[in-house]
Amino acid sequence: MTFRQARWDEPNVWDLAPPSARAPVPEVPGVPERLRRKEPVLWPELAELEIVRHYTRLSQMNFGIDTAPYALGSCTMKYNPKVSELLARRPGAANLHPHQPEATVQGALELIWRLERILAKVTGLPEVSLQAGAGAHGEWAALLMVRAYFRDRGELDRRTEVLLPDTAHGTNPASAMMAGFSTQEIRSKDGCVDLEALRKAVSDRTACFMLTNPNTAGLFESDILEIAETVHGAGGMLYYDGANLNAILGITHPGRMGFDVAHLNLHKTFATPHGGGGPGAGVLAAGEALAPYLPVPRVVKNGRKFRFDYDRPQSIGKIKTAYGNFGLDLRAFAFALTHGEEGLNHVSRRAVLNSNYLASKMGKSLPRPFRPLVKHEFLLSGAPLKLRGVRTLDLAKRLLDEGVHAPTVYFPSLVEESLMVELPETESKRELDNYVAAFERAVSDTPENLRAAPRSLSVGRIDEVRAAREPRLSWKDLRSAAAAKVEAPAPVGPAP
Amino acid sequence: MPRWIPNEPGEEAALLEALQISSVEQLFRDVPKKARIGRLGIGAGRDEPDVVREVDRILDRNKPLGKFANFLGGRISSRYSPAAVDAMVSRSEFYTSYTPYQPEASQGMLRVLFEFQSLWVELTGLDVANASLYDGATAAGEALLFCRRIHEGRRFLVPASLPWEERSVLENYASGPGLSVEGIPYDDRTGRLDLDFVRRAVGAGDVFGLLADVPNGFGHLDEGVADLKGILGDIPLVVAADPLSLSVLEPPGRYGADVVVGEGQGFGIAPSFGGPLLGLFACRSEHVRAAPGRIVGATQDVAGQPAFALTLQTREQHIRRSRATSNICTNQSLMALAFTVYATVVGPRGLAALQASIAEKARTLASALGGVDGLKAPRFDAPYLGEFTVELSRGTAADFLDRLRRRKVLGGVPLVDPRPGRPSSSERILVGVSDATTEREIQKYARAARTALASAGRGA
Repeated sequence: MTFRQARWDEPNVWDLAPPSARAPVPEVPGVPERLRRKEPVLWPELAELEIVRHYTRLSQMNFGIDTAPYALGSCTMKYNPKVSELLARRPGAANLHPHQPEATVQGALELIWRLERILAKVTGLPEVSLQAGAGAHGEWAALLMVRAYFRDRGELDRRTEVLLPDTAHGTNPASAMMAGFSTQEIRSKDGCVDLEALRKAVSDRTACFMLTNPNTAGLFESDILEIAETVHGAGGMLYYDGANLNAILGITHPGRMGFDVAHLNLHKTFATPHGGGGPGAGVLAAGEALAPYLPVPRVVKNGRKFRFDYDRPQSIGKIKTAYGNFGLDLRAFAFALTHGEEGLNHVSRRAVLNSNYLASKMGKSLPRPFRPLVKHEFLLSGAPLKLRGVRTLDLAKRLLDEGVHAPTVYFPSLVEESLMVELPETESKRELDNYVAAFERAVSDTPENLRAAPRSLSVGRIDEVRAAREPRLSWKDLRSAAAAKVEAPAPVGPAP
Repeated sequence: MPRWIPNEPGEEAALLEALQISSVEQLFRDVPKKARIGRLGIGAGRDEPDVVREVDRILDRNKPLGKFANFLGGRISSRYSPAAVDAMVSRSEFYTSYTPYQPEASQGMLRVLFEFQSLWVELTGLDVANASLYDGATAAGEALLFCRRIHEGRRFLVPASLPWEERSVLENYASGPGLSVEGIPYDDRTGRLDLDFVRRAVGAGDVFGLLADVPNGFGHLDEGVADLKGILGDIPLVVAADPLSLSVLEPPGRYGADVVVGEGQGFGIAPSFGGPLLGLFACRSEHVRAAPGRIVGATQDVAGQPAFALTLQTREQHIRRSRATSNICTNQSLMALAFTVYATVVGPRGLAALQASIAEKARTLASALGGVDGLKAPRFDAPYLGEFTVELSRGTAADFLDRLRRRKVLGGVPLVDPRPGRPSSSERILVGVSDATTEREIQKYARAARTALASAGRGA
């Protein structure tokens, strides 16, 4: 199969119909003169059909899960069920205001309550809140809960450190910093937490150890119970980063592994669409110690009625407008309902089966660090490519020419020139075999071709260094750049 | 099993055979026995028609906005969204994609985000916008942390009239680095900010930023915001602006705002019980390296063709880790697409005309409610656009709104902090209109309010 992406010479929206600043701004009575807009908003006036064509053409220059396997590790790019899209657009879901009286939104509250109960069972942590906007937002909120907990115990002055493994997602240390903690990295041994290093690092300064299991090397941290014992023994809390939950549904859960608090990403495990970067939906799940600190309101059931409960004196308060991303909660609920007990377990079993199959095949082309048994994702090292004068980046670009999305590259950093591959449970064996074949063609291609990739997309290799060195971040910047060009003095000297 | 997991006869067996194992169970031998769990206890799966039936049954217990004369607002809008917006958001090349880490494969979304950033720059009069944050409240929280990165101090000032939810979110963003959020008192007649308080606070020192909302938490306009930068000097000014209002109001960058944040949901995004929403953030060029979130830049490909990519990524968590400007990773890109398509379909003249017509309806509502005995409408003597605050002279907002609801009127957002023990004005309500509001609905509200207050009077 030869792949060619659409290549429209589509102008920017303002170049379709250069806007004019001549239209007067309508008068709104009472608006103080100083706050009145004097010049109209500079934006094009276009016919609806022109607009629809513009964005349709742009969409055709974009990879999605619906167009090709999307092997980004740690992103869990699984099929986004169409039925969820249908249901989320029902007036009874889309046309609800968060400030409607509770009596008029009983269905929404019921759905939230039932999804929270399901997620409590999936995580093994009894109390759940859906308020967080995405995974990182949940991490930050959970760490604020940890902070509040230690403040109430009078230990906050001392417990200022968050520990995390060197394989942690970048959001973990960033969230810890935002929540006011310092961070300390624990080195890995053979891709997993070095238990001895952790034992040496924990102390009465430890507030929390943040861990994802399986970790970003795709390995299950088999010492997890000892890790939990070590952290708890020092009086610290154990935090579960749920980005990799897709590997363990119905196998184990954060509660059983000894975690005190967790976030989940509904846009990963529960198949809500990633939307070109978002929206996501974060879930906070807490054990007994931290549950009182969850954000308000909580959704509770009294008899047959559901209501918001604000009477949580230890709560950290609000972390976001309203009650999280309800439109995505609904999609996740439909996903959970469809799968049920057996189905969710099957999700993880198939995801891990796919991953091990893919690892065994792709591992023939590039070395795999660490032990062979992996969970839902795995690492390869592109280091040998360097002997041929090419890099992992070139391989990733060459894969795009095959019409498939590249793996996550250069993360985690403990593996040189790493590629992190994940094709979840919704990919058939046929698609896996196609991916392997594409990968083999890409790896064995000539260095010239690898460096020249991609050639089948709407643009060629992009100069990202230039983007950062000469930032042009909006139409306004493009206008000033164009003006500067016009005004630039003519070169001195004879014409060429 | 759902059709979503492939299940061709022999497929799983072939995968197992290739791995030379006999059961999937062997792939979980690295999970210690003591960490294994039994059944989750969440019931059996269902087929698609059954799931649709069940979700519809639950949703039937909701009474969506269309069943009421609706006067709810307060940052979440129920304005009509042209069908073309959802059609573009429903392009699955967009909605099933992820963060454009491979820009060559994702030019479509990158272009959308570049247009979105450009639009927010045009509306705000600033230089640089990011590719979105979660919502207006968290954008304000990120703005607070941004101010602290570009200015020394421990104190952040906000209007005391800021809705309690936003204040609480801000306090959480402030709590990590140990910063304080302080309320600026307002004039009881006009709701306007006490600028002398701001002068004194700035004089006392340690202020690293100030946020003012336009319109304010009462729905009103306060021209004093245009004086704030003169008082603050080099202390950063954040303006939290309603995007539609910026079609007729001066861009905050023109009166000294260093950051403009906002809630973008009203531009083509369904209210959806409060999410997903859209956080807007813009700042000045000189501070771009302190900005949070993804930013898309224009560049070119090897052949010199225009191209777009995520840029200035050394600010971000996946590169800078604990020294990143923010932890944000997933944002609201798809909502940024909705915002951009909405603004383009409605058009710049259309946006201003829409705001003008909504303001006209709000004035009709104010005069209808102003004639109701027991209701002060508007409560504040100050200009407004689509929303204003009313005050009850008897009874509580909760009781009043409940009586209205029985008459199929959603009468507004009570300006109450519902957490026990929090002081708040239990008799104030933020009321608003949208493009869908009709004259009949306005009269219906006035009649229902009269009846409700008459019986509240008898009850008291």
